[in-house]
Amino acid sequence: MRKILIADDRAPSRELIREILEISGYEVVEACDGGEALEKARELTPDLILLDIEMPTLGGFDVIRQLRTDPRFAVTPIVALTASAMQGDREKALQAGFTGYISKPVRLAALRAEVARLLQ
Amino acid sequence: MTYRGVSQKLTTLVDYAHMASAEKGAASSGTDNLGSEETRPRPATTSAISPSLSEQRFEDLLEAAPDGIIEVDQDGNIQLANAAVERMFGYTRAELLNRPVDLLVPQASRGMHHTHRAAYWSHPVTRPMGSGLELLAERKDGKSIPVEISLSPTHYKDGFRVTAIIRDISARRAADQKLREIQELHTRQLATANEQLEARNREVERANRLKSEFLASMSHELRTPLHTIIGFAELLGEQLEGPLNSKQQRFVEHIHRDSLHLLELINDILDLSKIEAGHLEIHPTAFEFSMALGEVLATVRHPALAKSISLESVCENGLNIEADRVRIKEVLYNLLSNAVKFTPEHGAIRVKVGAAAGHVEISVDDSGIGIPAEEQASIFDAFHQVGATTRGVREGTGLGLAITKRLVEQHGGKISVESAPGRGSKFTVTLPLRNAAVKVKDFEER
Ligand SMILES: Nc1ncnc2c1ncn2[C@@H]1O[C@H](COP(=O)(O)OP(=O)(O)OP(=O)(O)O)[C@@H](O)[C@H]1O
Ligand SMILES: [Mg+2]
Repeated sequence: MRKILIADDRAPSRELIREILEISGYEVVEACDGGEALEKARELTPDLILLDIEMPTLGGFDVIRQLRTDPRFAVTPIVALTASAMQGDREKALQAGFTGYISKPVRLAALRAEVARLLQ
Repeated sequence: MTYRGVSQKLTTLVDYAHMASAEKGAASSGTDNLGSEETRPRPATTSAISPSLSEQRFEDLLEAAPDGIIEVDQDGNIQLANAAVERMFGYTRAELLNRPVDLLVPQASRGMHHTHRAAYWSHPVTRPMGSGLELLAERKDGKSIPVEISLSPTHYKDGFRVTAIIRDISARRAADQKLREIQELHTRQLATANEQLEARNREVERANRLKSEFLASMSHELRTPLHTIIGFAELLGEQLEGPLNSKQQRFVEHIHRDSLHLLELINDILDLSKIEAGHLEIHPTAFEFSMALGEVLATVRHPALAKSISLESVCENGLNIEADRVRIKEVLYNLLSNAVKFTPEHGAIRVKVGAAAGHVEISVDDSGIGIPAEEQASIFDAFHQVGATTRGVREGTGLGLAITKRLVEQHGGKISVESAPGRGSKFTVTLPLRNAAVKVKDFEER
């Protein structure tokens, strides 16, 4: 079963994503901040990571910087899932090394399609 | 005084008169007394005038001259002084005649003056004195006055004399000084204005940055809860956790639709600030016009019904247009909600949509309060509301038509109004069927 790590500081948001993805047959692991996201990523080496950008302690940009320097995560699809949806935010994310960018509020169909595409 | 001496003086003075009239601007009004060529015939040669007449003319000219004129002999004693000298220096002529010219030279310069005078006698020509220097003369009361002096030698049987024409330039100096002060003042004022402008620019930049930051954080904070509201509503609607009864399904649909509407509102507020900043972008898609119109009519049907306003629409079937569907709906909504808002009970609203020559024409016609002719242009300005007509209809901010006009123009279209107070209003929008606007990269994720 494909393993997906979701990092988000809001529990309802984690639960929502977990529900959406579990229905589609993925194994979902949660992290409630950037630090935990790093730990879980190193421990479980998920197939895909959905990272919120604004999180306490360690933000999404810090997490991806550290992950991308680790050879085990050089090509892992890591997607920004964020409520930062102003002009330039997508470009900023892609430049920082994110594989994809999905803005909140997320639409179920769009999220499922993107995840399926990245895990092909 | 000998005849010859007098005639030579006359020549000198006539020359001087020329010089003075050429320099009218600087000379005082006394210049007129020298006599213009029209009023007083100037002697062509001195010999044409009899000695006594010539003498008299000389006296007249001398006394009328606005500048001081003195004649100094080779010993440095004053031999002649005119009235202007008396005025300028405060001495009577008796106090000056046969007295050393040093009397008129400031104490500090007397030594040098002596040397200069000696030098002049060795090379006596007509020239300005101390050219390039700021000359000072001393009055009887000890005050110094700035002067310009020109020297010309006069030949006598017994040797040279020098005629000095002395011009008091205090007034000119004062004017120069005043001018310099004004220039300095202007320079200072300009510098201050520039500083203020720069400070203002910095302030505007700061305000713009704060505004962007505010909008970004507002957008983020509103999207975060909407994310779970919309997401869970969609999840519930999928009924994967078990079937919902029809009522529950409807409730979930309401939540879903309204939360999507809220998302649209957030995007619209952000658009508004983009419109102001001139960054509005449109995302054209092909759609059937009557569908979009139907959706908008559905939202205004209820408020129209509440005021017993009849709502009629005629739309060509199968009319397809390439435009930003959300924006076009916004345009329709703004016009229709205005029509409902500004039409009293039992009125009527008619919407007509038709295509012709690559364009679609949409008109929204109401039987409402109307708009006075002089207001018809300004209602399209942001925050402009017609005072008299909006009295009693207080809701709204006056942004609707401003946004509508920008949206229509961004689509390459036009909007106009025909109206008269008490006789209703008709807004007409013309849009190209194919969108000519440049398709740009998404400004904002939706
Ligand atoms: N159909 C109409 N009949 C009479 N007056 C109108 C009509 N439409 C607009 N106006 C006048 O033009 C003004 C500007 O309209 P606009 O839609 O921009 O603002 P608003 O409706 O007052 O507020 P908002 O649309 O921002 O909620 C209105 O306040 C009203 O005075
Ligand atoms: Mg309005």
